[in-house]
Amino acid sequence: MDEKYAIDLEHVTRIYKRDEFEVRALDDVTVQIPAGRFVAIMGPSGSGKTTMLNLIAGIDHASSGRVAVGGEEITGMKERDLAGWRARHIGLVFQFYNLIPVLTAFENVELPLLLTSLNKAERREHVETALKVVGLADRMDHYPRQLSGGQEQRVAIARAIVADPTIIVADEPTGDLDAKSAEEILGLLVDMNRQFHKTIVMVTHDPRAERYVDTVYRLDKGVLAGVEPGKRGAPAEAAAHG
Amino acid sequence: MKYTALVFKNLIRSKRRTFLTVLSIAVSLFIFSALVSIPTVANQILGNTASSTRIATHNKAGLAYSIPVAYKQRILAVPHVEVVVPESWFGGVYHEVYDQFPNLAADPEQVDQMWPDWGISKEQFAQFKKIRTACLVGGDTMKRFHLHIGQQIQLKGTLYPFNVTLQIVGTIGGKAPPDFLLFRRDYLEEAAGRPGIVDNIWVKVDKPGNVPQVIAAIDEGFANSSAETISESEAAFIGSFMEQYRTFFRMAEVLGFIVVLTIGLVAANTAAMSIRERRGEIAVMRSMGFPSRTILSLLLAESILIGLIGGVIGCGSAYIVLKAFSVGNMGGPLGAIRMPPVILAETLVVAALIGLFSAMVPASSAARRNIVDALRTVA
Repeated sequence: MDEKYAIDLEHVTRIYKRDEFEVRALDDVTVQIPAGRFVAIMGPSGSGKTTMLNLIAGIDHASSGRVAVGGEEITGMKERDLAGWRARHIGLVFQFYNLIPVLTAFENVELPLLLTSLNKAERREHVETALKVVGLADRMDHYPRQLSGGQEQRVAIARAIVADPTIIVADEPTGDLDAKSAEEILGLLVDMNRQFHKTIVMVTHDPRAERYVDTVYRLDKGVLAGVEPGKRGAPAEAAAHG
Repeated sequence: MKYTALVFKNLIRSKRRTFLTVLSIAVSLFIFSALVSIPTVANQILGNTASSTRIATHNKAGLAYSIPVAYKQRILAVPHVEVVVPESWFGGVYHEVYDQFPNLAADPEQVDQMWPDWGISKEQFAQFKKIRTACLVGGDTMKRFHLHIGQQIQLKGTLYPFNVTLQIVGTIGGKAPPDFLLFRRDYLEEAAGRPGIVDNIWVKVDKPGNVPQVIAAIDEGFANSSAETISESEAAFIGSFMEQYRTFFRMAEVLGFIVVLTIGLVAANTAAMSIRERRGEIAVMRSMGFPSRTILSLLLAESILIGLIGGVIGCGSAYIVLKAFSVGNMGGPLGAIRMPPVILAETLVVAALIGLFSAMVPASSAARRNIVDALRTVA
């Protein structure tokens, strides 16, 4: 495993068992993503995009192969260690925002910080900064139901970045948004990448996303079908095809 | 502490459901604490009143049968016996049938020596000896019926075909049952036409070590007579007196536990429903890095808190209701039923356990569930 890569998957296979059937969601995929890049994983439904994202986020285990993220190999980690690792390294953004409905925007963003040793005042400072970055400083006390879809996703992004993770992992972040909001969210992710040098891995169906990312990894039927430069203009990453 | 807000917000997530769950736990624990108080009160009476030097002698055939009062003199002659007081259960009611409290008639001369732990003052005892219709009344009964010293009261006979009119000359306190009323047996004897019988005879011996010897001597002395006796220590006597209520006590306890079990199952169903609805949120929290243990603790804390709120409301209400009404009629001849502090504590423990066990299975299963599977339910 090479530490210069933020994400390093080597011959990763993920097999699910569905009743008596085995589904090979990922098949011998090898991918290396350097730190500080904004990449998209694209492909048709059932191609293994979300499975790959889940493996990178440490919420799923590979059936075989090795997964290293942020310089740490997570393949053999126990769940307890993996939870701590996720808290330190991963910020997750979901398609349906997944904010806690009974908590305000402030409290939702504060959640990951409850796992840190920060005191209340320090937590407040971090949350306010994160919400300011996503342009929602004036919506702190709003509940998710009082926000638009785009605003909810902004809060989710603030929640993902507030603990300063190594990598932001986004699963169809624009999938539930109208075109304008989708553009705003993609722009916001680009800002995260440019201003804060966050490595961002995004699963998407949205063809607009290609204009914002450095590299597009195409998956098809569980295998890596191609690596293309994004239309943002960055060169394609060196990637070994599995 | 940093999770307090989170627990509280989840608690009021569905206000109606939380309110109804708390209410059902409160009602069940109201019933539980009231029912469980009954046998506890009986045991407390036993523990508080029993002396190690007092013996009760009664008819071997049972408490419903009498013994001749003439046995008094023969018992007095038994070595180590210091005081002998014959006593009869009058069982009268004050005003209405539900106005019951224990009332008995005893020979007045040595009451203070027999029961020095009843806190009867010298002056009041002198009055008791002086006035034939005098009576001494427990503090709870005085308070319950707003009685005062010097007042005349009438007890309606239930076992005897006449009423007795009594004058309150003092109060009984100390280790005596707090609802007790004691009047003079010579008054009862005269009203009953001098039958020369009593329900039991209290005997005080010089030392606790001599109790078995005196018991044997008394019972041997009346063996093969027309009214054979059985003597027992005060603790055993009160215990056997309580025995007639034992089935009732057991039923009360069993009913209390059935109520708790039933509500425990209802609470478990509610907890399972509430946690199932939040599987997605739980998965999101775990994906952020919240360990399963923390998630489990948060869910259990929430459920325990619901149980405790219900417990405080339930047993608090039961305590207040029992105290306010000083429900003497509920205990009948046993006297007023009040909730001992130990029941308050026990009920709160039961409340916390209802919360803990109702959420244990769904919470631990949600906290351990595969994150990816759980997230799929959100999508």
